[in-house]
Amino acid sequence: MRIFRIAQEGARALASNKLRTFFMMAGTIVGIAALTVIMAIGKGAEKKVMKRVNNFGIRAIMVTAGGGKGMSPPQEAITTLRLEDLEAIRNQISGIEVLTPGVMKRGTPIKAGASQTQATVFAVEPEWYDAWDWYIQSGDPISAEDVSTMGRTCNLGTSLTRTLFGDTSPIGEYIQIGNTRFLVKGVLGGKGTSPMGTDIDDRVLIPLTTGMRRLLNQDYISYIRVKVKDPKDLTEIGDKIREILHERHHITPPQEDDFAIVTAADVAKMARGISGTLTYLLAALAGLSLLVGGIVLMNILLISVGERKKEIGLRRALGATQGDIFRQFLMESLSVTIAGMVAGSLLGWVASVVLARVTQSPVVVSWEPFALALGFALIVGVFFGVQPARRAARLRPVEALR
Amino acid sequence: MIELQGIEKTYESGEVRTAVLKEISFRVEDGEHVAIMGASGTGKSTLMNILGCLDKPSAGHYRLDETDMVNLDDDALSHLRNHKIGFVFQQFHLLDRATALRNAMLPLIYAGEYPADAHQRGEKALAAVGLADRMTYKPSQLSGGQQQRVAIARALITNPAILLADEPTGNLDSRSGAEVMAIFQRLHRDGRTIIVVTHDRAVAEHANRIIVLKDGTVAEDQPVAHPRDAEAEAIALAEKEVTQ
Repeated sequence: MRIFRIAQEGARALASNKLRTFFMMAGTIVGIAALTVIMAIGKGAEKKVMKRVNNFGIRAIMVTAGGGKGMSPPQEAITTLRLEDLEAIRNQISGIEVLTPGVMKRGTPIKAGASQTQATVFAVEPEWYDAWDWYIQSGDPISAEDVSTMGRTCNLGTSLTRTLFGDTSPIGEYIQIGNTRFLVKGVLGGKGTSPMGTDIDDRVLIPLTTGMRRLLNQDYISYIRVKVKDPKDLTEIGDKIREILHERHHITPPQEDDFAIVTAADVAKMARGISGTLTYLLAALAGLSLLVGGIVLMNILLISVGERKKEIGLRRALGATQGDIFRQFLMESLSVTIAGMVAGSLLGWVASVVLARVTQSPVVVSWEPFALALGFALIVGVFFGVQPARRAARLRPVEALR
Repeated sequence: MIELQGIEKTYESGEVRTAVLKEISFRVEDGEHVAIMGASGTGKSTLMNILGCLDKPSAGHYRLDETDMVNLDDDALSHLRNHKIGFVFQQFHLLDRATALRNAMLPLIYAGEYPADAHQRGEKALAAVGLADRMTYKPSQLSGGQQQRVAIARALITNPAILLADEPTGNLDSRSGAEVMAIFQRLHRDGRTIIVVTHDRAVAEHANRIIVLKDGTVAEDQPVAHPRDAEAEAIALAEKEVTQ
């Protein structure tokens, strides 16, 4: 193939002047490296976001007692969130799959035989398991009957089980929460630590009625957990719940809410917010490097066309057509950007791995940045190579040989 | 066969028109060894460029084996240069970073089909000019005479009809010059058409015919009764070097 041999001529020209070739490549290397790092960070951040959203529940809305922004836990001193609010939501909003109340009490003393500890007690209804997509790994869940009879039964989280019973099965055993004895019916599956670092397996579930009347003697709840049918409706349903609660709690903005609503969409937005700025910054750097690199490449090529007039004239005399000369110079430009892309990708890949180690944040290296880099390399190579190549091709052989 | 008919070349810069070649007509038959002579400024470089299809005349016709190059486009002229014309320049014009072999093979890149035996052809061409043992040398490792011989090998590799040499001895010492001219005479004996452009009568007298240009016209067109023997001159010069 003639084009192949012409490309070879271009490659030889590049190989013969390595320093110049390096300068031609530098911008592409930096640009592509930055691009690779951005995409690795972006992917890593997205993975983190997805993990958070998954932990939260992709179709979930949390209505917690107490104001405040973000994902702060319910404030136990707030007494305004009630089961009537939940009923109002159930009656007025469609598109909800699961709706369940909960009461939570942190730092409750718990005993089992000689073992004693503190854990968070959750008073729940049987819908709790579906609402959280969190199920029993052994034994039985809290049933509707447990709730209606104010049963003294409970489920333990894995951490609490280990603390109280070690490796032996707690099912059928009794524990003491406060001053009340509860039968352990089941053990929850393990979830590990939350993104905030708290051990969410250090918990005990009891029936809602038992918790509200027998244990805590309160008529308010800590939170309402909502699971919508279609994640597209998250924001809309969240807004409707806010309206209902504003009305029921007689709150008119800018008066502060006595509750907080967080949807899965909010969680994703919050998680993305942090990494977004950095990504834009790096993207700007990558774009700038590619642009500057391209301009440098073009100028060095233009100078090289001037320096190599004799070579061009000679090639023309020996039978090279204008097209042959054009292709040779374009190939030189493309080889530079493609080689720069390979070097830049490797550099970016190494930088991503190092960055992952240093920042302890997830960085995902995938094939996409390499494909994108190749695309950019071709675009930069052609865009900034055409002008010098055209100039070289248009040299009149007589003048070039002079 | 080369035929020039009423070739003119004028350059225009602004209002000023300069006629460099006026009404040049001559024929060169296949297998001739012709020298084109003239002082600088007589238009011999311009004529050489036209003969080499590097430049087009302003008027007139130039037939190369029945093809009138005046009607050809740039690509066709490139093809013609590749196939029919072998160039030898005063400054050699070799690629500095390529070996002698790669320099000699360079025109093959631009020959429509890249020959499978390109390497053998390159080696054969270099052997024909006495550089069989210098294939892998770069130009900087070769003497001027050797560099010019690489250039001749390059000119011959596509087996062109005409060898066109522009002051081929201009940058060489007299012995190397004589050796180069000896190669031309040998090629001439083998039937190749050779046109040498020079300002030096001694060089021109190696040819069988001398065309003298003056003020852009043919002033003289004479056969050379007894061309000088470059081979003998080269041997004599070599002996002189030894005795000195």
